[in-house]
Amino acid sequence: MINIPLIRFADVSKVYHLESGDLTALDHISLDIQDNEFVAIMGPSGSGKSTMMNQLGILDVPTSGELFISGRDVAKITALERTHMRRDMIGYIFQNFYLIPLLSAYENVEYPLILKYKKRDESGKATAILKAVGFDEAMSAHRPTQLSGGQQQRVAIARALVNDPKILLCDEPTGNLDRKTGFQIMDILCGLHSKGKTVIIVTHDPKIAEYADRTITLEDGRIAA
Amino acid sequence: MKDIFFDLSVRSVRLNLMRSILASIGIVIGVVAISSMGMLGTNMQLQVKDQLSSGADTIVITADAVRMGPPGSGSTSSSSSATGITKTQLSKIKLAAGSTSKLVPVYLTNTQFTYGSVPGRGSVYGFNPDDITKFLTIENGTNIGGINDALVGSTFATNFNLKIGNRIRIGQDSDTSRPVLRIVGILAARGMSSDNVNTDNAIIVSDDWYTNQYGGKDIYKQVNVIVKDINTIPDVKTAIDTKLNTDKKTPVVRISDASSRLSGITSSLSSITTFILAIGGISLLVAATSIFNVMMMSVNERIQEIGILLSIGTEKGEVRRMFLYEAVILGILGAGVGGISSLIIGYSVVSYMIGTTKYFFLPESIMYIPVGMAIGLVVCILSGLYPAWMASNMDPIDALRSE
Ligand SMILES: Nc1ncnc2c1ncn2[C@@H]1O[C@H](COP(=O)(O)OP(=O)(O)OP(=O)(O)O)[C@@H](O)[C@H]1O
Ligand SMILES: [Mg+2]
Repeated sequence: MINIPLIRFADVSKVYHLESGDLTALDHISLDIQDNEFVAIMGPSGSGKSTMMNQLGILDVPTSGELFISGRDVAKITALERTHMRRDMIGYIFQNFYLIPLLSAYENVEYPLILKYKKRDESGKATAILKAVGFDEAMSAHRPTQLSGGQQQRVAIARALVNDPKILLCDEPTGNLDRKTGFQIMDILCGLHSKGKTVIIVTHDPKIAEYADRTITLEDGRIAA
Repeated sequence: MKDIFFDLSVRSVRLNLMRSILASIGIVIGVVAISSMGMLGTNMQLQVKDQLSSGADTIVITADAVRMGPPGSGSTSSSSSATGITKTQLSKIKLAAGSTSKLVPVYLTNTQFTYGSVPGRGSVYGFNPDDITKFLTIENGTNIGGINDALVGSTFATNFNLKIGNRIRIGQDSDTSRPVLRIVGILAARGMSSDNVNTDNAIIVSDDWYTNQYGGKDIYKQVNVIVKDINTIPDVKTAIDTKLNTDKKTPVVRISDASSRLSGITSSLSSITTFILAIGGISLLVAATSIFNVMMMSVNERIQEIGILLSIGTEKGEVRRMFLYEAVILGILGAGVGGISSLIIGYSVVSYMIGTTKYFFLPESIMYIPVGMAIGLVVCILSGLYPAWMASNMDPIDALRSE
């Protein structure tokens, strides 16, 4: 039991059943990702990158094969347990930021703490994490629509981090940002990796992929390199 | 603890304030309809019951024939053609009713009169003065003593501002002889009594004066039998029926009592109440669809937000709760405003339709406000159940992808 990987894809396939026929988005993927790895996933559009991230984020389960996260087969646990794993083990960062529009920046970051502890945060954790991504109190009171793209992504990172997850999933986190801001975001992610997080990032940009220890390239749902 | 899902619901309602208010107005109308209709019906029943209970111990016997119309209003004796309870029938009734019952033969007509120079019109009851105290209350003054003495009802006295000792002149201006009555007493208000003797707007004279004036001696409009024990009413009725209506095919007298009339009236009143409550119910049904509609709109506008909530670890139950809170907020808004409006509108409707609000605050009447509010709230929550369920069961990936 010594070398159990944090994440193990064991012959995972994901098939979408469409009216036009079956579409295999992930085709017999086998892959291990160790604790504290920094992995970049690349590949052309439609190659299955987001599908793979959704599997990692336990938003979906494999059509066949097994996916183990922290040693647990995600298809064999209840929907509520999957929800709790999502909340406690995984931080998700999206290309479109996906902040909750009705909540302020601060409340967006506080939100996962409320989900976990069922009460408002009194520990100051949300404020501290916002500070770490460069947000002061005045800016924390803003609603997402009042923030720039780079600022929104910082809030999204803070939100993803606040419950101290093992895994950070980033689906094109810099895709909607200019290069400079993109690199700033990458610096934050690098810092988190060096503090022990397992970071998995999807990108089209080879420069961004250079930050990673390992690059996995997908093609038609298969691992090409 | 301040619930973040409640906050989210409040903000969502605020964001679409106009739409939310419009949807709540439906609930307001429903609550107002249910409570004020319920209160109206109840107040009506309470009032009728109250008024009819004053003659609960009385059996009323009338001639079972088509009357030829009331005796002429003039001073000439025109009542000879009218039918009524005859002297022989009266003695049979007396026998059948037994010695413990009190009999009150009633003469009745109506007349014009003048007080000073003010003309008026009202009923004239003729009673044996000894009978008057058996069932009427003289609030002021004394009973009829002399032949020209009269009592008047309370409404009558108030309307004409009559005092004891005042005189009224009976008959039309054109009549040749116009007898004068002296008021010796004023009766207590009686309301609409179940014994058919409605004295509030009447002049009461002695039977001697009455027959002297209008004729028709020993032919009574009705005979009231006041029993000692209310439970004997069915027996006494049967006894009178056997004695007088010997030929069942053509009964000569009609016998009725308060309870039979009361139950008739209250049952028709309660079906009216049910009917108007059903109208209120329909308006709530309409309100339910508008709440449902607004909730569905809210869910559909927030699909991506629901996707975000689900993908970062929000439980289905929590998403459901968020949307149910929204329905509850709309419900509380509607029920609250509806409750206050019901108090105001219900009070006005009751006072306008019934003329009195003395029953309005009785528990059986006022309870329609909380009941209506509760129904409104429940309707709101029920309307929110499906939208909330739908939101919580969305696929997070699909929801996220929706724009
Ligand atoms: N929910 C879905 N239903 C049906 N087909 C889907 C669904 N999600 C993805 N697909 C299909 O699966 C394949 C892989 O899609 P995926 O989103 O994983 O690609 P991607 O590598 O992330 O592409 P991009 O770089 O454009 O984001 C595509 O052909 C896509 O059309
Ligand atoms: Mg993608």
